[in-house]
Amino acid sequence: MTTEGGVQYSKIAEIKGPLVVVDDVDNAAFDELVEVETNEGERRLGKVLEVGNGKAIVQVFEGTTGLSISGTNAKFVGKVMEMPVSKEVLGRVFDGLGRPKDGLPDPIADKFIDINGEPMNPEQREYPKDFIQTGVSVIDGLITLVRGQKLPIFSGSGMSHNLLAAQIARQASVVGTNDDFAVVFAAIGVQYSEAEYFRKSLEESGALKRSVLFLNTADDPAIERIITPRVALTVAEYLAFELGMHVLVILTDMTNYAEALREISAAREEVPGRKGYPGYLYTDLSTLYERAGKLNGRKGSVTQVPILSMPSDDITHPIPDLTGYITEGQVVVGRDLFRQGVYPPINILMSLSRLMKDGIGEGSTREDHAEVANQVYDAYSRAQEVRALAGIVGKAGLTEIDLKYMDVGDVFEKEFLSQATDENRTIDETLAILWKIVSKLPKNEITKIKDKYVDQYYQGE
Amino acid sequence: MTNSSLEKTIDKILDQTEHDILSNLDGAVSDSHQILDNSVTKLEDEYDKIVADGRKEADKLEKQIIGGSDIEARNKQLLALEDAVSRVFTKALDQISNSDRNGDYANLIKSLLDESTKVLGTSEVIVFTNSKDRDVVQSALSNFAGSELSSETIDCIGGVKIQSKDGAMKFDNTIDAKIDRLKPLIRKEIASKFGVKE
Amino acid sequence: MTAQGRIVWVSGPAVRADGMADAKMYETVTVGNSKLVGEVIRLTGDVAFIQVYESTSGLKPGEPVVGTGNPLSVLLGPGIIGQLYDGIQRPLKELSKASGSFIGRGITTTPVDMVKTYHFVPTASNGDEVLPGNVIGTVQETDLIEHSIMVPPNHPGGKISNLVSEGDYNLETELATVEKDGQNVPLKMYHKWPVRKPRPYNTRYDATVPLLTGQRVIDTFFPIAKGGTGSIPGAFGTGKTVTLHQIAKWANSQVVVYIGCGERGNEMTEVLVEFPHLKDPRSGKPLMDRTVLVANTSNMPVAAREASIYTGVTIAEYYRDMGKDVVLVADSTSRWAEALREMSGRLEEMPAEEGYPSYLASRLAEFYERAGRVRAAGSPDRDGSVTLIGAVSPSGGDFTEPVTTHTMRFIKTFWALDAKLAYSRHYPSINWMNSYSGYLGDIAKWWGENISEDWFGIRNEAYGILQREDTLKEIVKLLGPDALPDEEKLILEIARMVKIGLLQQNSFDDVDTYCSPEKQFKLLKLVVDFYKLGQQSLKEGAPLASIRELPVVTSLLKARMDIKDDEMPKLDQLETDMKEQFKNISGVKVKN
Repeated sequence: MTTEGGVQYSKIAEIKGPLVVVDDVDNAAFDELVEVETNEGERRLGKVLEVGNGKAIVQVFEGTTGLSISGTNAKFVGKVMEMPVSKEVLGRVFDGLGRPKDGLPDPIADKFIDINGEPMNPEQREYPKDFIQTGVSVIDGLITLVRGQKLPIFSGSGMSHNLLAAQIARQASVVGTNDDFAVVFAAIGVQYSEAEYFRKSLEESGALKRSVLFLNTADDPAIERIITPRVALTVAEYLAFELGMHVLVILTDMTNYAEALREISAAREEVPGRKGYPGYLYTDLSTLYERAGKLNGRKGSVTQVPILSMPSDDITHPIPDLTGYITEGQVVVGRDLFRQGVYPPINILMSLSRLMKDGIGEGSTREDHAEVANQVYDAYSRAQEVRALAGIVGKAGLTEIDLKYMDVGDVFEKEFLSQATDENRTIDETLAILWKIVSKLPKNEITKIKDKYVDQYYQGE
Repeated sequence: MTNSSLEKTIDKILDQTEHDILSNLDGAVSDSHQILDNSVTKLEDEYDKIVADGRKEADKLEKQIIGGSDIEARNKQLLALEDAVSRVFTKALDQISNSDRNGDYANLIKSLLDESTKVLGTSEVIVFTNSKDRDVVQSALSNFAGSELSSETIDCIGGVKIQSKDGAMKFDNTIDAKIDRLKPLIRKEIASKFGVKE
Repeated sequence: MTAQGRIVWVSGPAVRADGMADAKMYETVTVGNSKLVGEVIRLTGDVAFIQVYESTSGLKPGEPVVGTGNPLSVLLGPGIIGQLYDGIQRPLKELSKASGSFIGRGITTTPVDMVKTYHFVPTASNGDEVLPGNVIGTVQETDLIEHSIMVPPNHPGGKISNLVSEGDYNLETELATVEKDGQNVPLKMYHKWPVRKPRPYNTRYDATVPLLTGQRVIDTFFPIAKGGTGSIPGAFGTGKTVTLHQIAKWANSQVVVYIGCGERGNEMTEVLVEFPHLKDPRSGKPLMDRTVLVANTSNMPVAAREASIYTGVTIAEYYRDMGKDVVLVADSTSRWAEALREMSGRLEEMPAEEGYPSYLASRLAEFYERAGRVRAAGSPDRDGSVTLIGAVSPSGGDFTEPVTTHTMRFIKTFWALDAKLAYSRHYPSINWMNSYSGYLGDIAKWWGENISEDWFGIRNEAYGILQREDTLKEIVKLLGPDALPDEEKLILEIARMVKIGLLQQNSFDDVDTYCSPEKQFKLLKLVVDFYKLGQQSLKEGAPLASIRELPVVTSLLKARMDIKDDEMPKLDQLETDMKEQFKNISGVKVKN
């Protein structure tokens, strides 16, 4: 947007929910940034959702509490919302709108970037295939993360997703390169203590200086949450594609984001889709998640690990459902495992990394990785069936082979899945445990691994 | 910091001022230039001290504390830098606000009014300015039919604020507002003079 | 007279402009100072409702809107194959030249290279009377595609003159002039066709030839015919995209149109990276030489997503008219339906179920009706087909939602993906109890004539085992496996073999990814034979455990990966081994 804006309009027609409707507006653009000034001279930011016939509908990020029809002014700024970026954002803490929250001045901007970003041209994308070692066995071995992937954690209230995300943020490393690594963390409506946990965790591991934090906590304005992931991703794209860094973006909790979106939709009286969420929730989420990736001819990458808490642990709820359709897999935190005290309590059968197949194997992890992982998936799935059966017929009713699968299930959960929050396993250690599990089975049960790998790695009788 | 680099700093600010901020303010600018130049030596000492302190502090911290110390040092530097930047700003604004309201300034006011009424799409407006600029503004208003000067004065360095007669639209075209809009760009320019590399 | 109006209202991709009394429905217009592409979708008085195919951020009321006089059309001519287009046929490679790694706005390009030359071989002669659809010559578009240059369907036809001789020409060259009623109309290598209008054909045939995909669960159990329609619904993570990619890779069609409609960017990149390196199993040429990609990923403007389906199907019909079998894969029609819903909402139309517009069903019907096996218009005689396969992404995996239920009314093959199968890593996770194919009877003849007369019977036997297992499983759930007699336990065992050895297929395994019809039949027959031998052994007193532990079981289960398509004798050997091993446990006499 190039036009010089700056006109203040004071004819406010309506204020409802997070929206302000301004009348007699003749020079405003769709998506334009708006400064709303209250009676007391307080300035709040907003943007134009709809404009025409002399009316502009403005969404106010910091909420409309305290605004009145008379005395409120709306200034149309003449540009879309931008985030000032520079290398100096590393080690900084910002609020949910990208303003400093650490008592330090605004970053001296190298550039100002439209926070909405632009869609990556699919023709210019580079297909993600570089293994990221997180040091967490279940991720590295069975749900492998690769650079440029978007892999969400689906969790439920009170479970240990934040521990896991923080562990990934601390330990993540790209094997075999000296490229810079950075973490962008966006707290979206989470409790202060959770945000603080992340900050401390990064600080204690010395990773804070390669991190940027955006904090919108539970007591911050709800509509601001629409902006928080966008400013975070704008900074991530800048670090990745302008400065060549590998950026891991953690967005938590996307459920709060979707709720803010629903609030605006309701205020606009739009026809709702499922559970009152707007029909465009999928498209809107994709404008965030699709900002992960790698680009041809550029060094850096943006990898996203969004975290969302599934209302009532329901994976068919619109938020996890639509997220799962956009992201490249999902890591599902299981309530049962969590109750049993397993950390990380990942339900591997419901979890998946779509890009795993290209990130593993000869040259990145090991040639047998895909097949041994498949066999363990298969075996653990059988173990679950056998456990269910044992619930009916009792252990006595099980065959010898059934009992072996029971054993596999136990070893899997105790030795492979379970891991300390400060335990950083190498990929070779992870693969060794996978083979240990497979070796609990007789050879004729191994239908997913080529004989040559069985000969090389199998340790059973 | 050397004398010449400081001079460049000031030049740069004023370049910005000339080209981007107040293209019509030549007269005022040259005045400010004069005044600013006179205070160069004094300012230079101040900058040097601030920056040197910041760097020393940074160096010290870097050596003393492990882990997050480099970030703290960096932050101290950022603060020191910001302090310096704002001093330059204040100084420059002072010069502008104290400059003579001569013929060039009258032209500036006229063009500010011209721009404002175009943006609002009417010259049926009420104009606000500070007490110092009232006379200059009043005489410029004859060119804008239907406009009138408000008896209220506003607090600003210079320039005008206008409002449609029904009060529905306002446009702030004070020098303060203009500088505010360009502030991030000017900050970058000043900062680069202090050796902040990107 | 083209319309010239002004924007009066902007809300996301929906724009209203007044002064548009001269605009026509579905006319393309340029919107705003940055000349964004849009399409008129409603006219009320002199106000036009426009859906804009590019981001409207920064658009202001008062900016101009100008009509082009033309409906949204695609350019049809050589150079389409191998391209990656956006939803309105702009080549993404050209866009990146203009705006770099991210997609900019207001960029105009031509869909194909207009100055590239092709070697034209005329097949008509001066003086010939031609009708719409007639072929006047051919060019070699790629190694795999001989491209017919046809008289456009909307061309009046007439008498040919000035036909160029064989040689290299570009798309703008006038290849011939056609004279009718004293009017001369030039013919070039390309023409334009409005995307929302199906291309005409001569006659339509029944779909009786199977489209072979190399996927056992599809070809053997739930086949689709050339010119048929199919749908693949599934919750996320059930492997929709992988299955669609498999079809796009291995289907025995001459052209594949792959539409990424509101899906992931990396998936299109994957196709772009992979297809040039994959070889067509029949011709040995790179798969990209027969593939056209249309990509409007989820984060690209939603209105262009709506158009992408029509862009794709029009291209498919064009190659069909040359007498080719074309497969069109649309991933996902749900995202297309959502685009309809979003535009409908912005127009404040009265919503039907779940906010979808009331015309959702008729739009879906119109789309799937563009499938078919046809005799193309004009001469010489050419038979071609368009097979339409649409993914559906039901919210929450619920097949009773509107897009799935309406789609089921208009398609004949239904591959129901099942999250439970996917969770247990049974891929492709096509549920054999909920899926169906309406083509089974029609295409059985082809299998009988080309592979084996026994195919239909054996296929049904195998399917019968799966159905029996489904009932027995309920009993096991309640009472445990010991409640079943051995004959029924054997059925559970065989069903497991069908599932692991046949239904499961590893698309990432070099051998298993594609399975020839011969190998499919042989594997199927081996398992069914195993069942018969097992039944006989049980009757003769052999314990079930001894059957279960036969070494041939593991070999059978791994045969899909271990034995290549060109190693059929190894499967015969397996058969011999199997009979031998059965003989050893029960002394059963084996009939040959």
